[in-house]
Amino acid sequence: MKLPGFLNRETMLVGLMLLLIAVNSALFPGIFPTVGNFTAILRSLAFDGIMVCGMMLLLVSGTFDLSVGGTFSMAGVVAGWMMKNGELPVAVSIAIALVVAMTAGLINGLIVARVRVNALIATLGTMGIYRGVAVLLGGPGITFLPDSFSRPGQIVILGLQGPVWMMAFIALLFSFLLSRTRYFRQYYYIGNNATAARLSGIDVPGLQTAGFVIMGGLAGFSGIAFASRVGTSVSISGDGAELRIITAAILGGASLTGGKGTILGALIGVGFIALINNALIIASVSAYWQSIITGAVLVAAVAMDRFMKKD
Amino acid sequence: MTTLLRCTGITKTFPGVRALSSVDFEVRDGEIHALVGENGAGKSTLMHILAGVYPPDSGVIEFQGRAVEIPDERRAQQMGIGIVYQERSLFDLLTVAENIFAGNQPAGRLGTIDRTQMHIAARDLLRRVELHVDPATPLGRLSAAQQQVVEIAKALSFDSRLFILDEPTAALTIAETNTLFRVVRQLKERGVGIVYISHRLEEVFQLADRVTILKDGRLQGTFAVAETTPEQLVSLMVGRDLVREPGHPPPLVRDVPALEVIGLSGPKTKPVTFSAWSGEILALAGLAGAGRTEFARTIFGAEAQQAGEVRIQGKPARIRSPRDAIAAGIGYLPEDRKELGLFLEMSIAQNIAAARLDHFGSWHLDDRRIEEVALEYMKRLSIAAPSVHTRVGSLSGGNQQKVLLARWLVRDPLILIVDEPTRGVDVHAKAEIYALLRSLAREGKAIIVISSDLPEVLALAHRIIVMRQGAIAGELSAGEASEEAVMRYAAIGVEEVAAK
Repeated sequence: MKLPGFLNRETMLVGLMLLLIAVNSALFPGIFPTVGNFTAILRSLAFDGIMVCGMMLLLVSGTFDLSVGGTFSMAGVVAGWMMKNGELPVAVSIAIALVVAMTAGLINGLIVARVRVNALIATLGTMGIYRGVAVLLGGPGITFLPDSFSRPGQIVILGLQGPVWMMAFIALLFSFLLSRTRYFRQYYYIGNNATAARLSGIDVPGLQTAGFVIMGGLAGFSGIAFASRVGTSVSISGDGAELRIITAAILGGASLTGGKGTILGALIGVGFIALINNALIIASVSAYWQSIITGAVLVAAVAMDRFMKKD
Repeated sequence: MTTLLRCTGITKTFPGVRALSSVDFEVRDGEIHALVGENGAGKSTLMHILAGVYPPDSGVIEFQGRAVEIPDERRAQQMGIGIVYQERSLFDLLTVAENIFAGNQPAGRLGTIDRTQMHIAARDLLRRVELHVDPATPLGRLSAAQQQVVEIAKALSFDSRLFILDEPTAALTIAETNTLFRVVRQLKERGVGIVYISHRLEEVFQLADRVTILKDGRLQGTFAVAETTPEQLVSLMVGRDLVREPGHPPPLVRDVPALEVIGLSGPKTKPVTFSAWSGEILALAGLAGAGRTEFARTIFGAEAQQAGEVRIQGKPARIRSPRDAIAAGIGYLPEDRKELGLFLEMSIAQNIAAARLDHFGSWHLDDRRIEEVALEYMKRLSIAAPSVHTRVGSLSGGNQQKVLLARWLVRDPLILIVDEPTRGVDVHAKAEIYALLRSLAREGKAIIVISSDLPEVLALAHRIIVMRQGAIAGELSAGEASEEAVMRYAAIGVEEVAAK
């Protein structure tokens, strides 16, 4: 089955989103279609939006990372711990947390690209480790973080909160990097045929490792931004992020076999999931349903992908 | 002899292509009927129709005297049509016996598999195809050639009346080919009809009773093999006479070789020493499995270099990865295009640019420039495709190979190693690839051709190194080379293997 050109993945998803918005507006007038609600949606998706850029990069190169949620929590907790218990300056604490997150990514990268352990197993293992470290260090959470730390997460510029601007900047940057630069174009070659890429002189293990480091860095940055926004290092704040982010990226056109996908698509995927979750919250549906529905969307998206491929 | 299969007026159209137009084809009991033609001539389409993969648009198929319809593969098997595909359809982790009886295992009373019965039956089938392996061996441990023979045993297990063999010798050594021919002749003696699809005309003349030629989906004629010649077949296949340019001597200045390999060994190869000069085409001849590919991969850094040295224009080169080799000026075009060479889902332009992205911008990538360069090479190599954005996976074998050659032309290496450059490529594209390799040598590159196709080696090479069992068995100049001379060097190894 071949779809006409204008009916590509992005426009179809945007159409679905508009439909969702229309239905929600009709069901919940006065609650859903308000400026307040839409800024809330944007604010809540910002953290996933930052992380999905890294996940898209990994998926394009034919791999993925399940430990992102662990890294997210761990970075937030490390930053908080450094400034509260370590009494270090805010900037230094953030820097240390970012280094920890990138090291977490580096460990993933070395295990997957050098030791050549399957990414599913490797990052499932490190997911457990990073989550554990976060809870071990942060206990139930580290509260009352300094104001100077909370400011960037809570500041409002032109009606939008700090994390939304951070996401916008990172997404623009990665969209440019992935579509226009020589270095990042190589990820598409790797995802398409890693052996051919190696025989064409592309440094496959090096690039994959770098991809995991970038993923770790973005997950850490996102986790720190989240801690900043809520003024607290929540030790389990990242749990479940891997499901949402991988689902968003696949929805947005990534393939588990690699070689395709764009940042724009990934962001639309994140927006789609955020809209569904927002509708569920307004309808006062139990939060557990969010996970059930996100999981169903992931399976449906992959099944759709298989179905479309049979042309 | 009575007619076993008669196809009349078979027509099949795919979107945009008429794959077969009104083709008549007939196979008699106990006949080996060769089916030849360039890639895209319609051989596979006809085979797929007989196998029940898809139905014809129009036309009648009569099998054993009755008009039949073949709706699916299973029905074809039950009717007694057995197919041995070129692409393996076997399972590496299962045993030989399990592969032979995949989907067809002898079952006991409770529907459980009767292993004893299965192994007895498998052993019998393996004896008939002269494959001396234990039916309990995992298939993955067998060589590619042995696996091909298992494929035949599998088709035998259905007690087929008609066998269709699609390029069965593509991956086989000479000895294995001979075994296969014996098996095929035995089948013939038992009255089985055989459709033999092959690119190799010499096999047609060794084996077949009659030959049918297809070109662009049309029937070019059916002849008794005794009444035709290879030249006639080739001209019917391509519609023109094939000119074979003799190997001209290169203008050699034998000072510093472009490539010097001194005692180089890898995980799968013995130490090898040789040199290649600019301007020459050097062939590495030998039988399949002689270690030529492994050796080329070692030079290229795709396998670890364990001992020895590689010098490029007299300077030692440290090669630890293909990346190092490319930087040092070596290009390598692998044997298995689809697995090792191409990015099938990507465009022609992206494939051509793959080995030289740095040429198109130090960090920002200039896509317009990539497309311009790709278009230039598409024209120069006459790659037949609608545009530079065409997905490489949709191209024919010959055009895919040209895309890979274009990739290395963009890279402009001093030394280009091409591994089986014309395997699965049609006669026309083959001639173009030969011309291209010759012009590259004239431009001053050292071209190393790995080929198991002897006429190809003789047509192209200025110098021939024959390898066997991972070592050099002999060297021949273009003047002294003949098929017999090359085979003498290459074949001693076969006897040694047989003696073991």
